[in-house]
Amino acid sequence: MSETRTPASSGAGWQDAGEPANGRRLTPAVPSEHTVVGGDWQELPNAVEDDLMVINMGPQHPSTHGVLRMLLTLNGETVVDNQAVIGYLHTGIEKNTEYRPWVQGVTYVTRMDYLSPLFNELAYCLAVEKLLGIADDVPPRAQAIRVMLTELQRISSHLVWLATSGMELGSTTAMIFGFREREGILDFLEYVTGLRMNHAYIRPGGLAMDLPEGFQGRVRTLLTTMAKRIDEFEDLLTENPIWIERNKGVGVLSAEQCLDLGVTGPVLRSAGVAHDLRKSHPYCGFEQYDFDVITTDTADAYGRYQLRLGEMRQSLSIVRQALDNLPETPVMVADRKIGWPAQLGLGPDGIGNTKEYVGKIMGQSMEALIHHFKLVTEGFTVPPGQVYVAVESPRGELGYHVTSSGTNKPYRVKVRDPSFIHIGTLPAVTHGLSVSDVIAAVASLDPVMGGVDR
Amino acid sequence: MADPTTTRRSGQSGDDLRPTGAGPGRSTSDMHGGEQAANIDGRELDVALPGHLRALATRLTAAFEMLEASGFRDELTLLAPAERIVELLTFCRDEPDIRCELLADLSGVHWPAGKRTESAQETTGWPSYEFGDEAGRIEVDYVLYSLTHGHRFRIRVELPDVDPMMPTVTGVYGAANFMEREVYDFFGVQFQGHPNLVRILMPDAWEGFPLRKDYPLGGVDVQYKGATIPPPDQRHY
Repeated sequence: MSETRTPASSGAGWQDAGEPANGRRLTPAVPSEHTVVGGDWQELPNAVEDDLMVINMGPQHPSTHGVLRMLLTLNGETVVDNQAVIGYLHTGIEKNTEYRPWVQGVTYVTRMDYLSPLFNELAYCLAVEKLLGIADDVPPRAQAIRVMLTELQRISSHLVWLATSGMELGSTTAMIFGFREREGILDFLEYVTGLRMNHAYIRPGGLAMDLPEGFQGRVRTLLTTMAKRIDEFEDLLTENPIWIERNKGVGVLSAEQCLDLGVTGPVLRSAGVAHDLRKSHPYCGFEQYDFDVITTDTADAYGRYQLRLGEMRQSLSIVRQALDNLPETPVMVADRKIGWPAQLGLGPDGIGNTKEYVGKIMGQSMEALIHHFKLVTEGFTVPPGQVYVAVESPRGELGYHVTSSGTNKPYRVKVRDPSFIHIGTLPAVTHGLSVSDVIAAVASLDPVMGGVDR
Repeated sequence: MADPTTTRRSGQSGDDLRPTGAGPGRSTSDMHGGEQAANIDGRELDVALPGHLRALATRLTAAFEMLEASGFRDELTLLAPAERIVELLTFCRDEPDIRCELLADLSGVHWPAGKRTESAQETTGWPSYEFGDEAGRIEVDYVLYSLTHGHRFRIRVELPDVDPMMPTVTGVYGAANFMEREVYDFFGVQFQGHPNLVRILMPDAWEGFPLRKDYPLGGVDVQYKGATIPPPDQRHY
């Protein structure tokens, strides 16, 4: 931390014009008649101690990572207080899920955190499965595919983080690279699920459908290229003086602050706390996979950058392991009263019910048709009770607190979104920073406003 | 104490399916012995709590006599009185053998007054469900998590849904600031002593508390080629 800026000294370089700061003289010591001495506006607020300014940053601001509005109370260029105003993307998803059958909830929750939709689906489905008491009945192939796809999505989410952070700090190369690599993953997810985002692929009891033919080759190509591309990022940014200058010592949150403020995920791990739900509370068979929990002890934005790069590499390794040991089982629970009845397949006009299946329910078996109709319209009922299930999303602990009253619809779905919790730390993260550092600090938290506002 | 999740299947009157709520006839002395320590009457739990959670329940009910423990799907729920929540959470945070560093979640559930039938499926023979009590309640659930010990459990507070009020826990966990604002925004629970209890996700001038069950979902009829589909909260399926 010796060369890094602490919050107290951050932005102080201009405060005492005339004094040597960082070995540089900010204004000429002896003004000559040819030198225009402008001084600095910072002298004005310095002269009047309590002359504070309240500035609105956002909600329509290219650097606030979405429709986030921050009410910055500034003393000159230094942030004294920062109140986040959120809710611009609130769409009442939690309320909406209470009026739809359990399966349809998947299509709602996948629209919350739009950079990691599969994590939302996964946590929701794990909660429903826990309520149903079928958590152990989900076939191992479905669990392995869940692991594989969510880890790929973790990479794509971190890539978007890298891209947007790079853009906000002026590195358009990082932005272009990040979005380009992410496209590769989105293409693969589209190939598997039919959609680039908002997949609705993970369903209570398993998956909507099995992986398509020839996925092995595509994943392996993706893994090989992605490993190289992560190295490219390393080359591009890790030693980059501007990147270091903008990120080191910025947005510091100590481990104690993190825990008090409920912070989890990369931000907590950057403070040296090796907490990862995949290790401490394995779900989907994560105990079978060999991976490391990456930590750094700098607790700043630069540490979070290094940590996310490391996490992407770990995710690649997990995907590879999942791929090597993919079990050959069905991808939906055997219970026909829960599993989605339709057999989906890829037709000439996209994904839909297979011809054989439609032929069976329309032409051969009336019982199958009735079964299909009832399960699709009413869905299944879930025993009354309340569960809390959390998964490790790219941003931290994504928790689903689901209550059932015993009907075919959820009684209450509460989502504990890590972005929402992390936005609550903004006053602590940005206190004492200059306005330009606020951008780097907010970016390092990686909030996704779709998840914050839900 | 009225039971929060009393649910009756029609045709099975009296057969309570109470997974999470504490039964009225249960005493806390059940906690101190027997391998079914956290089990209420042996029938409501389909799975017994894992050993470490049962030990935790025993530990906490020994320290706080008034807690009522219950288990469902390997999750421990402790029903606590609202006025002692600050003391209880401070205890859970500071005791070395409990050490819950993280307030993982804070959420609310509204159980309105009056019996209500859900999802009656007369034509298909699916069961109807009735639930509700004489007085409406709002449950406030605190999910605590310990990184040190790796345990997670829920502390539940029940409040009347008319003018619900309870002390804030922002002094214990800083994370409660935003979480309590959210519960206030959606359920109208007044957290006394909160530094800035204003709406957080809904617009400032919004009226009503949208996630209460008596607050309608809204929506309009959808017309398509002459047929009309009612809004989602009036559909029956």
